[in-house]
Amino acid sequence: MSNEVKTQVVVLGGGPGGYSAAFRAADLGLDVVIVERYSTLGGVCLNVGCIPSKALLHVAKSIEDAKTMGSAGVEFGTPKIDLDKIRAHKEKVIGQLTGGLAQMSKMRKVTVVNGYGEFVSANELKVTGDKETTVKFEHAIIAAGSKPVELPFIPHDDERIWDSTDALELPFIPKKMLVLGGGIIGLEMGCVYKALGSNLDVVEFMDQLIPAADKDLIRVFNKSMKSKFDNIMLETKVTKVEAKKDGIHVTFEGKKAPAEPVVYDAVLVAVGRTPNGDKIGADKAGVKVTDRGFIEVDKQMRTSVKNIFAIGDIVGQPMLAHKAVHEGHVAAEVISGKKHFFDPKVIPSIAYTDPEVAWTGVTEKEAKEQGLNFEAVTFPWAASGRAIASGATDGFTKLIFDKDTDRIIGGAIVGAHAGELLGEISLAIEMGSDAEDIALTVHAHPTLYETIGQAAQVYEGSITDIPNKKAAKKK
Amino acid sequence: MADVIEVKVPDVGGDDVEVIEILVSAGDTIEVEDSLITVETDKASMDIPAPVAGTVNEIKVKVGDKLNQGDLLALVSVAAAEAAPEAPAAEEQPKEEPKAAAAPEAKPEPAAPVAAKAASATEVITIAVPDLGEDGEVDVIDVLVSVGDEVNVEDGLITVETDKATMDVPSTHAGTVKSMTVKMGDKVSKGTVLLELEVAGAVAEEAPAEEAKAEPAAKVEQAPAVIASEHREPPVPDHPLDKKEPGKQMAHASPAVRRLAREYGVNLDLVKGTGAKERVLKEDVQSYVKYELSRPKASSASVTGGAGGLQVIAQPKVDFSKFGEVEEVELTRIQRISGPNLHRNWVTIPHVTQFDEADITEMEAFRKAENDQLAKRKADVKFTPLVFIMKAVAKALQEFPVFNSSLHEGGEHLVMKKYVHIGIAVDTPNGLVVPVIRDVDKKGIVELSYELTEMSAKARDGKLKVTDMQGGCFSISSLGGIGGTAFTPIVNAPEVAILGVSRSEMKPVWNGKEFTPRLMLPLSLSYDHRVIDGALAARFSVYLTQVLSDIRKLIL
Repeated sequence: MSNEVKTQVVVLGGGPGGYSAAFRAADLGLDVVIVERYSTLGGVCLNVGCIPSKALLHVAKSIEDAKTMGSAGVEFGTPKIDLDKIRAHKEKVIGQLTGGLAQMSKMRKVTVVNGYGEFVSANELKVTGDKETTVKFEHAIIAAGSKPVELPFIPHDDERIWDSTDALELPFIPKKMLVLGGGIIGLEMGCVYKALGSNLDVVEFMDQLIPAADKDLIRVFNKSMKSKFDNIMLETKVTKVEAKKDGIHVTFEGKKAPAEPVVYDAVLVAVGRTPNGDKIGADKAGVKVTDRGFIEVDKQMRTSVKNIFAIGDIVGQPMLAHKAVHEGHVAAEVISGKKHFFDPKVIPSIAYTDPEVAWTGVTEKEAKEQGLNFEAVTFPWAASGRAIASGATDGFTKLIFDKDTDRIIGGAIVGAHAGELLGEISLAIEMGSDAEDIALTVHAHPTLYETIGQAAQVYEGSITDIPNKKAAKKK
Repeated sequence: MADVIEVKVPDVGGDDVEVIEILVSAGDTIEVEDSLITVETDKASMDIPAPVAGTVNEIKVKVGDKLNQGDLLALVSVAAAEAAPEAPAAEEQPKEEPKAAAAPEAKPEPAAPVAAKAASATEVITIAVPDLGEDGEVDVIDVLVSVGDEVNVEDGLITVETDKATMDVPSTHAGTVKSMTVKMGDKVSKGTVLLELEVAGAVAEEAPAEEAKAEPAAKVEQAPAVIASEHREPPVPDHPLDKKEPGKQMAHASPAVRRLAREYGVNLDLVKGTGAKERVLKEDVQSYVKYELSRPKASSASVTGGAGGLQVIAQPKVDFSKFGEVEEVELTRIQRISGPNLHRNWVTIPHVTQFDEADITEMEAFRKAENDQLAKRKADVKFTPLVFIMKAVAKALQEFPVFNSSLHEGGEHLVMKKYVHIGIAVDTPNGLVVPVIRDVDKKGIVELSYELTEMSAKARDGKLKVTDMQGGCFSISSLGGIGGTAFTPIVNAPEVAILGVSRSEMKPVWNGKEFTPRLMLPLSLSYDHRVIDGALAARFSVYLTQVLSDIRKLIL
């Protein structure tokens, strides 16, 4: 028996973008239904992405920190790993957050319909779950996200071949593991498994790890990665993956390819994510989907169909929860009649590896490509008292300024807590601060974030903590 | 080698103008726009500028002569290249060479011989509309050049019409018109590309050697200006929207301000920020929106001819040719523009006109005596009665500040002005214009005389800028040079009063014992009765006559 629900707004997908859009719409006085395929809200981010990975990275970081305390005179001995308990800890973190979401949707009187949603028309959605539900709507917000890319030559069915979701399940601790893809997700999981005791290799097609980040950041980053990975194979690709009884046999080709196939106990495939645009019956609603599965939207998040909006991973890069949340708010506000636009200057990116790599605004690479008149300045953490005291001297803070206006247009940090430190830079760019504004803002001492003020002083030529290249020349 | 040029009297807006001073003598070297003589018309005295640079051979007029347009004024010998492009330009070239040589410095590889070639190569540049002192678009009412035309620097390219005036857009370069991108009737604004100009002087190494000989000398002479500046882009700054600065889909505004701007559809690049370092604040967006909203109101009023609710029957159509021979003549541009404004002012402002006479016997005696002194000293200035009237009006405006006000849009309060700028109605060949003399209260008679001369000349030459005609507090319309006893001038809104001046006349005036001959100046003060009471107007008028009768009061 099928039942029918009528609503002003239906949100397809309960990830960070979806629930943010739904809650915002509800708070603006609209009737809202969320259609979610899984039993809990939160999507990839909460259930199988950002949050569980951070729970595990926290564990990994604590293990690493305990090791380094030896040189400071404190020995913790060899850690004992109880994988079941770690998994339970992770589940608890997830449970706490998804539970909170369930409560908040109840509070806001947002109806959650569980099941797989597909458009039937531009005003109707069919949800297949325990029972079938038809949702009739005035407006829809598509927030159906993305999924890990699968490669045709890889036997993904084998349980020793993982995607990020599998890896987060902590099925076992492989003795020898390959991370296929040197991007953020692969390296984060690599850091986790390294701390738990795995031996790691990583293979990346491009000439550096985290290809989007500037080279100078990665140079520092690589110092740490070299201690974590036995073999970092850049400009190398995988041509063959065979699941055999004794392990996964992987054949490489390229600059750093080993001559013979290498046998791994597990392979994590982390080569990117692909949007779910072609899985939701978009054509029945008349919504245009690109060949690659993206849905095109305008700056108000509106699709080719006037009453249907789309947000998050499904509308394009970067596929980041914080981008989706803001887009979700805009979509909800536009539906409620506000004339809002998605109009940020920056969307920050962070790799929660050890050390962290974080950047926002234009990178130096992009600035060069776009032919901007810019100057990049750095402040090395080796000159930061706090970094030395915390054993975090492998890092630096970089700011990129427009030389015509002296305004900040980008920034990047590599080092401990880089992701947390990045916030100030994003705010400075959004507010249109120039180097002087940042240099004159009193930063607390000793902190890691004061390196941002110091980098601005380097640009200004008022730095006293390191040699000042712009100092007046004495005769 | 030099040619002799005849300099003739240009159109000065009047016939039989009197020469009151000769400013140059034979043998003097003069530049373009240097003043040659001063003439006096019924409204003002003005200088006649030299149309060419050169050496004065002979002056053909003397003080006291009455001149008309086209009369021979002087003979001037000019350098050959100026006068005759086909001449070899031998004298001019050496002077320019250092500049020409400067161009290749930017590209160090080509050696010296190339410098000579550089001047002869051609380059196509675009010419765009400069800052016209006018927001928004203006109409192109005339295109003065066409493809293939040779133009010189400062030659008019197109004529545009703004709310207040028409003006020519001059060429910034000399060259040949390659293509036109505007036509009559187009709307243009600052930065709009008008045409492409082929100018002499391009990238040095591209010029084949033969061309150097083939090019006419005239081009060689014009080239250096272009080469020196290496202009390849329009001579005006790009439109803010087109600028491609780093990451600048972004104006200098915080996210909240950008959101507000989006809601109102405001292009932040057009909003002037008043925050620190010109950051655009919420208030800036709000005031920009308010300003933009108030603008169309003003213009639509004039478009509808100020009919604003006036229910009147249409003018009957009359076939005049039934009654005799007729001819149709187009209104001048200025008439077409000022007509609707005059109409609006006439029907929307309740006018009252106060008439009075000022005894200017003493003032005129003083003025003439002073002018005699000035003439003896060969000063290049002469006082007209108008300047004294302006000073007296300024004084009266300070005494009666309500005359120096404007009615606020809502009609509920007055905007009182703390400055005294006075508009002077000037009759020009094209029609009536009203240039504004600023800070009349702060300037002396001499300074005002100079300024008035200059403004009148600009008005007659059609060279007034829009800004020259803005900011008036009060207007004066003087028909004294022509005649009449009184008239009702129309208030020049948003001003609230205007003074009409008619011709002074010797009249018998009863001084209590006998009739004495006194020179009486008729004054007609029209005012906006919504703002000014009849009694106040009478007091203003009386005060004005008192000041004019005894100009010592000006210094009180």
